[in-house]
Amino acid sequence: MVLEATMICIDNSEWMRNGDYSPTRFQAQADAVNLICGAKTQSNPENTVGVLTMAGKGVRVLVTPTSDLGKILACMHGLEIGGEMNLTAGIQVAQLALKHRQNKKQQQRIIVFAGSPIKYDKKTLEAIGRKLKKNSVSLDIVDFGESDDGKPEKLEALLAAVNNNDSSHIVHVPPGPNALSDVLISTPVFTGDGDGGSGFAAAAAAAAAGGLSGFDFGVDPNIDPELALALRVSMEEERARQEAAAKKAAEDAAKQEKGGEQASSSHDATMAEPNSSSVPAVDDKRHNLTDDEAALLEQALAMSMDDPKSTNVAVADTDMSEATADDHELALALQMSVQDNAKDSPTQSEMSKVLEDQSFVSSILNSLPGVDPNDPSVKDLLASLQGQSESQQKQNEDKQEMRRISK
Amino acid sequence: MDSAAASAIPRGQVDLVDFVDWSGVECLNQSTSHSLTNALKQGYRDDVGLHLESDADEQLLIYIPFTQVIKLHSVVIKGPEEEGPKTVKLFTNKEHMGFSNVSDFPSSDSIALSPDNLKGKPVNLKYVKFQNVRSLTIFIEDNQGGNDVSKVQKIVLYGTTDWPTKL
Repeated sequence: MVLEATMICIDNSEWMRNGDYSPTRFQAQADAVNLICGAKTQSNPENTVGVLTMAGKGVRVLVTPTSDLGKILACMHGLEIGGEMNLTAGIQVAQLALKHRQNKKQQQRIIVFAGSPIKYDKKTLEAIGRKLKKNSVSLDIVDFGESDDGKPEKLEALLAAVNNNDSSHIVHVPPGPNALSDVLISTPVFTGDGDGGSGFAAAAAAAAAGGLSGFDFGVDPNIDPELALALRVSMEEERARQEAAAKKAAEDAAKQEKGGEQASSSHDATMAEPNSSSVPAVDDKRHNLTDDEAALLEQALAMSMDDPKSTNVAVADTDMSEATADDHELALALQMSVQDNAKDSPTQSEMSKVLEDQSFVSSILNSLPGVDPNDPSVKDLLASLQGQSESQQKQNEDKQEMRRISK
Repeated sequence: MDSAAASAIPRGQVDLVDFVDWSGVECLNQSTSHSLTNALKQGYRDDVGLHLESDADEQLLIYIPFTQVIKLHSVVIKGPEEEGPKTVKLFTNKEHMGFSNVSDFPSSDSIALSPDNLKGKPVNLKYVKFQNVRSLTIFIEDNQGGNDVSKVQKIVLYGTTDWPTKL
């Protein structure tokens, strides 16, 4: 939120025709300039930004520092590429433009895009840097494009001469697939000196790079905590629902091939089965399934087996394969009891989320032929599922009930 | 020596440090660790360990606005022998000067400090030129030893205020 007047020095020399930054160096630079102007004016409405070109016939100020973003963006149109960049003259003119800013309370900052080779020697640049420091002007340097005979060192020397208390920065951008503006967004050029502008930077990053600038979902929790929280919660719910659906698909696929019914005592025994033995059982299953179901089952099993904490779920999967096709409550009860043994909160929370979804559970029960939803034991089971997260004892009761029913 | 300088307040004058508008005080080319408050503020300026130092070169540009209109009578500028200021130019009522326009207009007064002054002897100014001062700009052009860094221990301004105005 620093009150600042900024002059941006654009390199429009012949070297900007090169295409190593897409689409051309000049276009990448123009995009970066547009973003910077937006960031500056947004971080503080009283900030002013001006633009000048360093090459062409000579240094030309396109727009003096103004807070009117439209004017700044308009002047970027119709710029011609040509000539050679004059770095020192550009910086000096920028300094002069800042000196005559309207609001003297604004801090002075110059942002230089140095894309072409620099023909000045280190001493001249250091002298310029000292002069800037003396007049308390900060300098940001974007080193891109040509990198030849000591250009980075020269620019670093310039930065060292100007830098006062870390208010000046330099960014080296090598050519590559990333756009120049994307690389700049995460640098102090955009984010100011830590504070200020971070909100805009986060939003811009979300728009440009898909929300990976350090904030989840491209929303700054500082700016909009409710929105960020809502997004996070809905993302987790969706993930849980997807996992449950995949697990459900695995259960269905597994149940369809088996016909026999087994005593629940054997289920208890299988629960203690080590993970390694469950894997061959699962593999056997896989051969008997159709292609679609196999793919779905593989995906579900991969998910459940990838997660080291949900090995119990894998065991539960094999348990359910031995259960009857129709006895879905038994399968659910088994899962509950497996969670009981494991006391594993992540899987349990997923399951509880699934089971708490009343409509989901009742729709499953309705779809199964052998189950009458009005059966008191089923109702008891449903009630217990709702209170699952609270009491473990309820689960034990239902387990015993289920065993009683199946026997 | 200190007490002698302190008791040598010119008759009828007051120390104007109470009338300085601290929110507008600026200093160009000061070193961040040795800033203007070390030389100007009460308490800091008397601490021998704290001083104002220049950064990129030996010049300093100090801008001091006042909360009311004052008349400036004399100044005391204390500094070390070698790095203390030598040529000092004073400008009145010129806001936001830069190093580039110090030579654009004549100064209200230009003083050359002697080693005595650096020890605390007040410098009497051309009083007539400082009758209606809203802000003061002190331009330290060079120092005694011609070093790259100028150091100032203490700056005291003596004068009178207009208010209450004599009717």
